Amino acid sequence: MIKRLADRLFRWFCHPDYYDEIVGDLEEMYRRSIPTDARFVQWRYLLQVLSLFRPGLIRSFPPTLITPPIMIRNYIKIGTRNLLKQKLFTTINITGLALGLSSFLLINEYVRFEESYDSFFEDAEQLYRLSTVQVSNGEIGVKDAMTFHPAAKALKEELPEVQAYTVTYKFDQLIFRKGESVIQEKNVIAADTHFFKLFDYDVLQGSADNMLSEPNSLVLTESKARFYFGEENPLGKTIQLLGGFNRPFQVTGVIEDLPENTHYPFDMLISDESLKDRDDYDSWNAFNYYSYIKLDPSTAPSRLTDKLEKLSKKYLGEQSSLRFHLYSVRDIHLHSDFTFEAEIPGSERAVSMMRIIALFILIIAWVNYINLSTARAVDRAKEVGLRKVIGAYKGQLIGQFLLEALLVNLLAALLALLIAELVLPFYHQLIGKEISAHVWNHLSFLKSLLMFFILGTAVSGFYPALVLSGFKPVAVLKGKYRNSSSGAMLRKSLVVLQFTASMILIAGTFIVYRQVQYMQGKDLGIATDYVIGLPLPSVEAAQQEAHASKVESFKEALRQHSAIKTVGGTSNLPGGDGADINSTSGKLRLVGLTDRIEGTTYVQYNDEHFLKAVDMQLLAGRNFDRNRIADSLVVMVNEAFLKKFNIADIESVLHEEIQFGEDENNDKYQIIGIVKDFNRTSLKSSVEPTLYFPDYQPGHVVIALQPDSYQDGLTYLAETWQQYFPEAPLDYTFLDDRFAALYEQDRRFGEVFGTFSALAIFIATLGLFGLSSFLSIQRTVEVGVRKVLGASVSNIIGIFYKDFLWLLGIAGFISMPAIYFGMNVWLENYAYRIAFPWWLSMAALGIVVVFALLTVGYQIYKVAILDPARTLKYE
Amino acid sequence: MKTYPLGEFEEIVLLTVGVLYDEAYGVSIKDAIEERAHRKVSVGALQSALKRMEKKGYLKSRNGEANAQRGGKPKRFYTITAFGKRALQQSKEIRTELWEAIPQIALDFTYR
Repeated sequence: MIKRLADRLFRWFCHPDYYDEIVGDLEEMYRRSIPTDARFVQWRYLLQVLSLFRPGLIRSFPPTLITPPIMIRNYIKIGTRNLLKQKLFTTINITGLALGLSSFLLINEYVRFEESYDSFFEDAEQLYRLSTVQVSNGEIGVKDAMTFHPAAKALKEELPEVQAYTVTYKFDQLIFRKGESVIQEKNVIAADTHFFKLFDYDVLQGSADNMLSEPNSLVLTESKARFYFGEENPLGKTIQLLGGFNRPFQVTGVIEDLPENTHYPFDMLISDESLKDRDDYDSWNAFNYYSYIKLDPSTAPSRLTDKLEKLSKKYLGEQSSLRFHLYSVRDIHLHSDFTFEAEIPGSERAVSMMRIIALFILIIAWVNYINLSTARAVDRAKEVGLRKVIGAYKGQLIGQFLLEALLVNLLAALLALLIAELVLPFYHQLIGKEISAHVWNHLSFLKSLLMFFILGTAVSGFYPALVLSGFKPVAVLKGKYRNSSSGAMLRKSLVVLQFTASMILIAGTFIVYRQVQYMQGKDLGIATDYVIGLPLPSVEAAQQEAHASKVESFKEALRQHSAIKTVGGTSNLPGGDGADINSTSGKLRLVGLTDRIEGTTYVQYNDEHFLKAVDMQLLAGRNFDRNRIADSLVVMVNEAFLKKFNIADIESVLHEEIQFGEDENNDKYQIIGIVKDFNRTSLKSSVEPTLYFPDYQPGHVVIALQPDSYQDGLTYLAETWQQYFPEAPLDYTFLDDRFAALYEQDRRFGEVFGTFSALAIFIATLGLFGLSSFLSIQRTVEVGVRKVLGASVSNIIGIFYKDFLWLLGIAGFISMPAIYFGMNVWLENYAYRIAFPWWLSMAALGIVVVFALLTVGYQIYKVAILDPARTLKYE
Repeated sequence: MKTYPLGEFEEIVLLTVGVLYDEAYGVSIKDAIEERAHRKVSVGALQSALKRMEKKGYLKSRNGEANAQRGGKPKRFYTITAFGKRALQQSKEIRTELWEAIPQIALDFTYR
């Protein structure tokens, strides 16, 4: 391979008289040294060839590369004059290229940002998250991002490959006291003292090794420290935690603010030791902890699979279907398909679609330049002819036109930098992320700008340069020159390419919008309008009983108001993210009806009012009843649950019993009701098999309000809350808002997609505007003759349109399958998706066609209305 | 007196061509220099020296038989011309003269 390359290189530069001899020598030496390492010999061969590149041995080259500086100055002068003379084309070229380049680079930065997640840790390559997966029949079923509290420690003790570990717990929310007010903190995690060995955030105050070693210690990020303590030194001060902890925590350290590109964001850390009261602390009964390990750099996680399986069996029991699983921390943000993720993960698919959009835009912009400059070749034909007659080499002419392309691209690149800098704040708003404060001092941005400026010059300049420099001087100087048909063919194909790209983008935008709209409008199976949900304050175990009766009277008080229809309770509010639910992965059976089946079953705890509050429909059976003593071992199931057990007749399971686990003596729960499926979370996932158990003191309240007087209801709620729980902040949300928030990412993606599609079609139209303007001016005489012979303006427009309609037709023909397959892949993401919208896609195509025809029509019209007497008088 | 410009490396190549007499072609010259003068020679340096000296008229060359060992390419054999011989002689004379002109004392070293 290397040798072949070297041979070709040598043949290219070697003087033909010497070639045979030298290549013979080289060959002879090469053959006699073959027995040693082949690669090394090949490299030496290449080195020998390179050593032959010297004045005495190379062939003579045409003087392209040795153009005198005075000529280069002349090229720049002529190039500038041409740019200034053709102001419309110059503007179109530069604007198009600049817009294309800036969008491309901005999207590129976004893609880079998404891909940079968690790679800033020093040992990012070695960091893995320890997760739990369920394996049934050799296949991975449920994947859960979290694991058991002692699991990571066990791995460290058992496996020499594990260099370090840390165990963390993420709180839903914690209530902190600040002066007189109470603050709800949503980004608090607990971590053990090894945390900073894996995640090397800068520690500004305190000692990284032991600031998390004592119970009740608290580490803040810089901005949180400023929020709670202002300019004072926070070290050693305390903050009171309310709710479940209800005790003071001492600040033992301050760390830098976290960058945005991490999958595990937090702004406060409490020590792991503070969690000792939890049931699952240091126990193998539940997996609720995010744990991370650092592997030896030479160890690939795949090599540990068997060991992990053995350890899973050792610690979780031979029978358990749960397995320890390692997942590279750097891959979590874009690639993880685990449930219970710590953040809303990014979408790999969205990122790759963004990439495609970016590329489309850039290609459209480059095509503009190619089309306009080859179409305008006629203008330069005489110049080229004359230069050739005077003695210009073809290579020099290529150089000249490449230089002009360079000039245009340079202006475009500078403008692109300006545009990017100016739109950056809007762009941040659009993508919902802060990538960098400026682009002009952002190194990776500038690097890409430079790279694509050079690439752009080559791509957009090379073909026109080739065409322009290829003119035969005799033909052009005689005035016989016409645009060649192969050139026109290429231009047409490029126009088709542009329109295909635009059509795909526009149709894609429409479909994304449609899907988001569909998800927001779809009947979830429950009522979410004018229904609010809120968490109740949590308290220490000792005060549990008093608290329960307080909550009960709070709910009773609410029910007194006329604007409040129903007050129900639940463990998990509808409209939470995928992880906002309880689940169990043990075996489960319907006693006497089915075998024990493995797999995840989801569990929600509701009181008897929940059903009515969200208008959940009971298909068979009855609601919970807290006055029935026997109602402690009852359960409601949903349709999806029955489907999992292949039960079609829902009435038949009423009064049957459910039993968990393998043990015959485990509790049996009687099925008292079957509810209609409803979506508790995003429509990306289908309705899970769910069990609803009664709980009369669940952690959340659901309140259905009267639509016409809901404001009064809210006011009353706030007053009542203040009366009962002055210690805790009131934090309610409307359920429909909660659901809408789930689609935030999709909506944003739709907006980004839409914005850039609009830009793409704008740039394409701009190019078409220039092209058709030029072509119609070129055909002015033809139009004049046609008019003299009796053609009307509409006839003439029709004739021109025929060409373009062909091109648009071909573009539509190519783009339709692309749209169909591309968008179906995207829609597969969603458990509830729209059918492929043929009409909408056609409409998208139609829009592009209309834009194109309007642009072309306008230019032709300008020529068609001219008086033939004037257009023909020069002929 | 007419001078014959001859570089140091050129001189070595020219001498080696003389040594090899009828068998002097690229590879054999390279090998011979590497063996006798204990210096690495790149093909590029050697070839450009050969071509330069051929142009100056110190060397002449002829094609040998095509050879399978060489990928079907012929060897090109070099021989010294009378002109080349004179250049070598002159170079040698200059050196001898210079040697003799060095005063005894300048070279009176003892190695320690």
